[in-house]
Amino acid sequence: MASNPRVARAPEGNPLLEYETGGFWDEMFDAAESPRSHYAALAGQLATLSSTEVARRQAAADHSFRGQGITFAVNQDPNGIEKILPFDLIPRLLLPEEWRRIERGLEQRVRALNLFLADVYHEQRILADGVIDPELVLGSRGYRRELHGLNVPLGVYTHIVGSDLVRDASGELFVLEDNLRTPSGVSYLIENRRVLKRTWPQLFEGYDVRPVEGYPQSLLEVLRAIAPEPEDPTVVLLTPGIFNSAYFEHAFLAKAMGIEMVQGQDLFVDDGNVFMHTTRGRKRIDVIYRRVDDDFLDPLSFRSDSILGVAGLMAAYRLGRVSLANSVGTGVADDKAIYACVPRIIRYYLGEDPILPNVQTYLPVDADDRAYVLDHLDELVVKSVNESGGYGMLIGPHATQSERDEFALLIRANPRGFIAQPTLALSRHPCWVDDHFEGRHVDLRPFVLFGREVVVTPGGLTRVAIRRGSLVVNSSQGGGSKDTWVLAETGPQRAGR
Amino acid sequence: MLCRVADDIFWMSRYVERAIAVGRLIDVTWHLELDAGELVDAGRAFWMPLLGLSRDGSELADDAPAVPRDVRHFLSLDLNNPNSLVSCVRSARAAAQHVRDSISSEMWEQINALYLSLIAPQFSQDVDQDPHAFYRRVREGAQFFQGLAESTLAHDEPWNFVCLGTYLERADNVARLLELQAHLLNADASAAGDAAVRWLAVLRSCGSAEAYARYYSLRVEPARVVEFLLLNPVFPQSVRFSLAAARSALTSVASAAGTAPNSSTMLRMGRLCARLETTAVDEVLEEGLRMFLWDVHGRIDDVAEQITRTYLRDEARPSHVVGVDRAALIMAAQQQQQQQQ
Repeated sequence: MASNPRVARAPEGNPLLEYETGGFWDEMFDAAESPRSHYAALAGQLATLSSTEVARRQAAADHSFRGQGITFAVNQDPNGIEKILPFDLIPRLLLPEEWRRIERGLEQRVRALNLFLADVYHEQRILADGVIDPELVLGSRGYRRELHGLNVPLGVYTHIVGSDLVRDASGELFVLEDNLRTPSGVSYLIENRRVLKRTWPQLFEGYDVRPVEGYPQSLLEVLRAIAPEPEDPTVVLLTPGIFNSAYFEHAFLAKAMGIEMVQGQDLFVDDGNVFMHTTRGRKRIDVIYRRVDDDFLDPLSFRSDSILGVAGLMAAYRLGRVSLANSVGTGVADDKAIYACVPRIIRYYLGEDPILPNVQTYLPVDADDRAYVLDHLDELVVKSVNESGGYGMLIGPHATQSERDEFALLIRANPRGFIAQPTLALSRHPCWVDDHFEGRHVDLRPFVLFGREVVVTPGGLTRVAIRRGSLVVNSSQGGGSKDTWVLAETGPQRAGR
Repeated sequence: MLCRVADDIFWMSRYVERAIAVGRLIDVTWHLELDAGELVDAGRAFWMPLLGLSRDGSELADDAPAVPRDVRHFLSLDLNNPNSLVSCVRSARAAAQHVRDSISSEMWEQINALYLSLIAPQFSQDVDQDPHAFYRRVREGAQFFQGLAESTLAHDEPWNFVCLGTYLERADNVARLLELQAHLLNADASAAGDAAVRWLAVLRSCGSAEAYARYYSLRVEPARVVEFLLLNPVFPQSVRFSLAAARSALTSVASAAGTAPNSSTMLRMGRLCARLETTAVDEVLEEGLRMFLWDVHGRIDDVAEQITRTYLRDEARPSHVVGVDRAALIMAAQQQQQQQQ
């Protein structure tokens, strides 16, 4: 018994005593149910606390989020409920050596994907060389013919990337998907840290955690670096507005960077330049960090019913008068069918093996894969290639027969529209549930910035599937999040923070 | 600064100031009713005139409350009344949310916390059980917000729009309050005792009773109250002071925007201020307090309209030259007329 520190150090009512890993890979505990070495100090902290104490801190953290209005709107009810993203107090820890691998792996991936984007919008060598079926690329909904032949500043298309990593039952990390259009969540990454420091500073004792506060400044540097005119460019953030679920994040980032947050109605295009209406008359804009999807950016080029965008913006963009982050047309590279090709893309452009593996992916567009997928729907996760946020998804083992039959029909009708992957037993992490700890499945979304160089913020948004047994971590589907600590190279012994 | 942001900051500040005025008015009326003891009409005389404060007056016809408690709730809690206390705070908070990147986090968190406290379930009980504490809490919450704006915003453009909104609104509110009580000036002598109490209440509802006492060291007399609230140059709740402060903010806005000092907005603002600076209280009463206040209202609305068009909408601006051109046309027309005669 004495060998188990959870038991040895536990007073009455220690909330970790009852915890069970349930046979999953647990981020905090090893197979023998002992804390992993880097979690030992944290487990020691938790062991000294009673359930009421943990509950009190949890309530304080929730209050802090609500008071700051760190909320998102799922239902578009003007009077209605703004929800806080459920925040779990117990941080997720990453060892420095594992983080180094993640960092290198993401840099490799993002560089390769940008070479891929430059290629498919110019010479299309990768298609000519037969490495990827042209139909997959040119038929993708994210492919924008308007971009063909256009040179973007620094040759970079995806300035902000959020890739989702998961760990399977063996503890191996995989990339589950890349978000190359307008990834969100970074404000929660930063706020989670701030709130945890405020509500439970003692947890940080004995840990040297790498700070995440630098993200907005790094982002601003990237945005300034892509300006058409290098002299003191005017950078703005374009938000769809207050009813967007990520509105808090838009305001957060604009404020942290000291730039204007604008809406489509604030902007207009005149003679190929983009301006905003200000109290001092018009002001020219050089760079737009847009959090509006391609489809809504410019009613003249894309969806004509969009009131979120700016008429003529694409013309200004094509003339090089204004830069957009991310560039238009990056959606082709996070099409889930293209995702399956990323290892090939890395090998093709960089001549390297992928550092971070992909999850095994079947493309029903291929006849053999399709047959396999239709035969094994009860084991697979099927995803629509164009959806995100956990929509348009079938989790085979959790689905009913009629749901599986429905997806089988959909796949037969439109094989290009879907991919399938084995159902991963995602790793779990202890989470505070009502009045005790329970394991919940988690993933990790680190954020990668790419301007003159690639910068990966040391941390990430650990998303939590709040419902017991659920594998869906998306905030729109009731997921929550945790603070994520990347431990400094000096190891956990150095005191203070 | 974006026009849309300036617009929201302007209105955010107006609504916060309006919430303070509404809260104070209800609180004071409540006290007045208590002072009056047992009343024949259960206090209706005190509460009914408050409904006249509603800005467009239209929504009163059908569902206007007839019982004092209902009037109080209508003015405090009713979300269908756009000028109720809660509506004001909600509007201010909504505007703040639209511009939360342009105001300080402290300001946003304060207005958000105030709003959340008002929609909490126990809140409508507080209004009945401990009204004074309730109104005081809301007022202080709003004043705290104003203090945070003063101390956490750089005193540049956004701040100027905060001042512009706050002071125009205050001038408007105080003028409205005076208008509400103007009939007391004509009250017959037998009711004079009551009238003194009412005028004291008017002072209190502008948070001005103590300042008045210091300033005059004299008993409350209607003409002095009018002079104090309307024309005092140094007390921040007076109409004249508020308009001078709004004018100073407008001057800063105009010079930052490169608008000519003799733009039509500045001219109208200047005329409005001059009206209060160059009129004595006896002249006001001679003209008729109501007439005078109507005139002031009209001008405040006019200035607000001009500000909206020039700074909050980025509409094309008639330049100074337009005025000169117009003057030339007028001169030519006059000469023509003279020749015809």
